[in-house]
Amino acid sequence: MSEAVVAHNRLIAPGYYRMGLQWKSPGVTPGQFIMLRVSADSLDPLLRRPFGVYDVLRGAKGIEILYRVVGRGTKIMSTLRPGDMADIFGPLGNGFPAVKDPGRAVMVAGGMGIAPFYMLAKDILKRGENAALFYGARGRTDAAIATDFRKLKGLKVEVATEDGSMGEKGLVTDIFGKKAVWLAGEASVVYACGPSGMLKEVARISKKNGLRCFVSLERAMACGIGVCLGCAVRTGKTAGKGTDRKKYGMVCSDGPVFPGEDIEWESL
Amino acid sequence: MGIPLKKVDLRVDAGGGLKLKNPVMTASGTFGYGVEFEPYMDLGRLGAIVVKGLSLLPREGNPPPRTTETPCGMLNAIGLQNIGVEAFIREKLPRLKRFKTPVIANIFGETVGEYREVARRLDGEPGVAAIEINISCPNVKKGGLSFGTDLREAARVVTAVRKATRLHVMTKLSPLADIKVMVRAVEDAGTDSISLINTIPGMAIDVERRRPVLSTVTGGLSGPAIRPVAVRCVWEAAKVARVPLIGIGGIVTASDALEFIIAGATAVQIGTANFLDPSASVGVIDGMEDYMKRHGVKKVKNLTGSLG
Repeated sequence: MSEAVVAHNRLIAPGYYRMGLQWKSPGVTPGQFIMLRVSADSLDPLLRRPFGVYDVLRGAKGIEILYRVVGRGTKIMSTLRPGDMADIFGPLGNGFPAVKDPGRAVMVAGGMGIAPFYMLAKDILKRGENAALFYGARGRTDAAIATDFRKLKGLKVEVATEDGSMGEKGLVTDIFGKKAVWLAGEASVVYACGPSGMLKEVARISKKNGLRCFVSLERAMACGIGVCLGCAVRTGKTAGKGTDRKKYGMVCSDGPVFPGEDIEWESL
Repeated sequence: MGIPLKKVDLRVDAGGGLKLKNPVMTASGTFGYGVEFEPYMDLGRLGAIVVKGLSLLPREGNPPPRTTETPCGMLNAIGLQNIGVEAFIREKLPRLKRFKTPVIANIFGETVGEYREVARRLDGEPGVAAIEINISCPNVKKGGLSFGTDLREAARVVTAVRKATRLHVMTKLSPLADIKVMVRAVEDAGTDSISLINTIPGMAIDVERRRPVLSTVTGGLSGPAIRPVAVRCVWEAAKVARVPLIGIGGIVTASDALEFIIAGATAVQIGTANFLDPSASVGVIDGMEDYMKRHGVKKVKNLTGSLG
């Protein structure tokens, strides 16, 4: 579709890579994603894989994605070298909405859910607003991918690990929950990305404390442009004129970012 | 194989008044309502656009998970989620009909009466060139495949739609049907053309959880994995068919498309490949033209059923 050239493909922690792609891309909003065809000559794996944009390359010469090797597709990706061609298209979907005058922008990330927040954090800090990241990982190894965030001046980073090997022992929702009342006092806005269970809890805590909350969902996708109707989630918007009933939203074209209260969490 | 040519003729006649500038259409369910692809390609280049299956009333579709990838293919169980025929006519058709490409409305009903009503609503609607009857969807409880594997039921649906419209009527068959007798049955009921195949019922299991991957347990398999099955079905159908055949099943390249044409298809539909590359159909058209020039084939219609 659109040819990109691999600029770098660095192992940043065991199993985690950051891939730079030189690509004549249109502007990217934090939270948007691209569809990457892992192997253009082969029909297996067949479908493209969606990846959230991690950062924009200097001089807007392309983008960077963060990925973890989990299956055949990402395993093949990890073998790509600088100069190799990659077939991508995008950016797609609706990114994180900019909220006017937030007291503080709070990013809550679980595991790979951290990927879209690097660009968002940089944008927020550039606007001179306050930003914090709550990050949850299984252990020290996974938590290492948050290193770049610690280098962002002005970003407050708090980490929770399930095994307690870094930061606080527990889940990211625990540390977020403890701060929620205080954050609500600051009229903060919450952006969350991670596993469904975590997002559900973040949405619940946010609602309880009157915090505006936006969640970014991840789903397997075939097309990425709202036509295969595969990445459906229940959005509970059953109202309408009968002809445009929309019980299901598509993560690719209606999302991936949704207001927390729009998702029917019980259905996930 | 003839001398190389500079100019070739890609036009085909799909019967029943449906004339196409080239034999490449997009398959229902993989191309939305067409308009979604405008940013990625020139819709005017397509032989025809077959839109997502339309029902009388909007349908919300099946619960997720609805799709999963399989070797060289994918399973889907969307459940015919669609905006309904009225919203299609009001919201999508005005934009779609501005392109010089015939629009084929794929239709679906839970009863014969519903098929008839959708067809009647589309009849005479400017911008609709043909109706494709879906009697082969494996992902709905009522209608769909229950009509597509039963000769008498299939004939009833086609007869009802035939009576409800003057538009070209195309009937989409399932690979589960007894192909030769089904071809005869829908021809006798008045279909102008036959498209085949729809997806093949399939299933995937998450062994860690010992649960089906799809919410509906089974789904429809599509993609390159099904192409040999589809080519065989077209070849079988071609032995008895009197109406033009439209080949569908795992086409990604021009060479894939030509297999169907050589086996006996007049035209083809591109499905799952639209997900890999939104402009896949244009690549198939260009590749087909190259092939013809290389092989000195003046008219693409001369390739139909040219298997040696």
